[in-house]
Amino acid sequence: MAIRIDIKKKMLSANGEMNLDINTTLQMGELITLFGPSGAGKTTLLRIMAGLVQPDSGHLEVDGETWFDSNKKINLPPQQRGIGFMFQDYALFPNMTVEENLAFAQDEKDNSRITELIDTFGLNEFRKRKPAGLSGGQKQRVALARALARKPNLLLLDEPLSALDASMRTSLQDEIARAHQLFGATTLLVSHDMNEVFRLSTHVVCIEDGGISKSGSPEKVFSDTSISGKFQVVGQVARIDKQDVVNIVTVITGSNMIVKVIAVDDDTQPLTEGDRVLVFTKAFNPIIKKI
Amino acid sequence: MNKLNGIIANIQQAGSIMLVDIKVNSHLFSAMLIASDEENSWLKTGNRVDVVFKETEVSLAKGLSGQICLRNRMLCTVKDVTKGELLSKVTMDFMEYTIVSVITTRSVEALTIQPSDEVEAMVKANEVTLMRTTNLNAKTQ
Amino acid sequence: MDSEFLQTLWVTFKLAASTTVILMIIGLPVAYFLAYSRFRFRPVIEALVSMPLVLPPSVIGYYILVAYSPQNWFGRWLNESLGIRLAFSFQGILIASVIFSLPFMIQPLQNGLRALPESFREAAYTLGKSKSQTFFRVLLPNIKPSVITAIALTFAHCIGEFGIVLIVGGNMPGQTRVASIAIYDEVQSLNFNMANRYAFVLFAISFILLTVIYSINKKHETWRMM
Repeated sequence: MAIRIDIKKKMLSANGEMNLDINTTLQMGELITLFGPSGAGKTTLLRIMAGLVQPDSGHLEVDGETWFDSNKKINLPPQQRGIGFMFQDYALFPNMTVEENLAFAQDEKDNSRITELIDTFGLNEFRKRKPAGLSGGQKQRVALARALARKPNLLLLDEPLSALDASMRTSLQDEIARAHQLFGATTLLVSHDMNEVFRLSTHVVCIEDGGISKSGSPEKVFSDTSISGKFQVVGQVARIDKQDVVNIVTVITGSNMIVKVIAVDDDTQPLTEGDRVLVFTKAFNPIIKKI
Repeated sequence: MNKLNGIIANIQQAGSIMLVDIKVNSHLFSAMLIASDEENSWLKTGNRVDVVFKETEVSLAKGLSGQICLRNRMLCTVKDVTKGELLSKVTMDFMEYTIVSVITTRSVEALTIQPSDEVEAMVKANEVTLMRTTNLNAKTQ
Repeated sequence: MDSEFLQTLWVTFKLAASTTVILMIIGLPVAYFLAYSRFRFRPVIEALVSMPLVLPPSVIGYYILVAYSPQNWFGRWLNESLGIRLAFSFQGILIASVIFSLPFMIQPLQNGLRALPESFREAAYTLGKSKSQTFFRVLLPNIKPSVITAIALTFAHCIGEFGIVLIVGGNMPGQTRVASIAIYDEVQSLNFNMANRYAFVLFAISFILLTVIYSINKKHETWRMM
């Protein structure tokens, strides 16, 4: 009951040639995020999983079934992989209504499933509408519902929320989490938003320069366990202000929280704006108060 | 950050609260921590750790007598004093380490702290953080 | 006189309609291939398809006529095994017209397909649909304006074609005499009244056709919203 990935692919990125080399085993049933900077190979990995991109070599196995094997010359086409894929641009078919888009996804007509999905995602009033008449958030819901219409074992979401504004994002993150609970499909989601990773996933795979740099629970991956501090946030240095004999460093965290930290010159000397930093303090310092 | 390197000499635990004694050369430091599973792997007697505390948590005393509850006391020699409007930075030698304290300028003046003075730097045990010694801390897991 | 006029218009219409139907059947797979294939020699095929756009009709007409001639292997084979002579026959100008109108059908279709997001095809595949299901249910319905444009351009271009039909088909009433040739013929005989009638019909048909196309395409944009 696992996804075994061991693939290599040479790819051309904006920074020149890059070797995608991924070797990992993921558990079925989880909501997994592929996290990393753009151009690191996250989307390519997702497309390889879907069968839309063929790796140069390696082996891909999902739930005991081989989907790709360069030695045995196996390459299952996307049609036979039993997946749901949600594209960044949603790829809703303009010639079909919401309902027809969902029905198209099914091999055998199953109206009860469509009604269930339409109810779950609150699409009832749009069911006869074509995609061009929907807002970004509504399109996203239709795309998610359509990806689930085939009852996929594996749901692949390519930066599903990147095109939406912040408030819309939060509510649709909940929608994805709910869909995962309700329909139980193993979900693989590409994201470069740390907040999203924390809100949604049980497991995160960090991809940098075509390889896996870290993998584990979001708490474990994003906090530094080699420090005994209990209060840790990761963020970016927004500014450093010299005041008196100390500096006030302003850090913006993954969840858009602003933290100000006093630091002496020795500590701020290696820092510049935009650097990723870990801010931590001990469990003894924070004061807690009911609000 | 003030950072000293030592070896864990003793660990005392009550529930999930731990009191860790660390030997830096012959000098004993104490750190009060809340234990968690992840740290248990490296928080063990005999392991090397960095003892870390923030400059603003270091109190200074001169000619201290009587009893005090602070566990970590370092007899230092003042190397340099940089006075600001409200805060001052006192740089001191402690064994082979440099300790920095940031205290109010008012206190620096009240204690008349000057270079080559003997002062005692003190840190509460619950302000001390332990870090796995950096060169052993692999970046990837 | 009038029956000859109607006969010529009928031949013209029959030629244009048959050419369009045949090209529709040939054009869809070729356009699909040209839009998506990664075949190395695709540019060669693209160039061949587009040749009629740049070559004078007389050049193509000449080559086709040479190919039809019983003195060459193709013409001889047609004549000996099938008993067909294509030169100066309706079938002959139909084939010529199909070849000559190739780019007018294929280019709009190919451009339409290329303008669709790549994700449409990929989405249909991940939804378990085969290439042909994807083509007929997703791609084709979403390039409707291109299909309409391709049909209209092909039809209108066939009606207006002159040089090739004249070379390959000559000017045989009821067989290969089409309206555009008739105009030339009537003008040569100083029969301006007749030339005028042909010209007006061609002008009207082309104008009406294009107006209908543009209004359908405009409507299509609004359809998509509903």
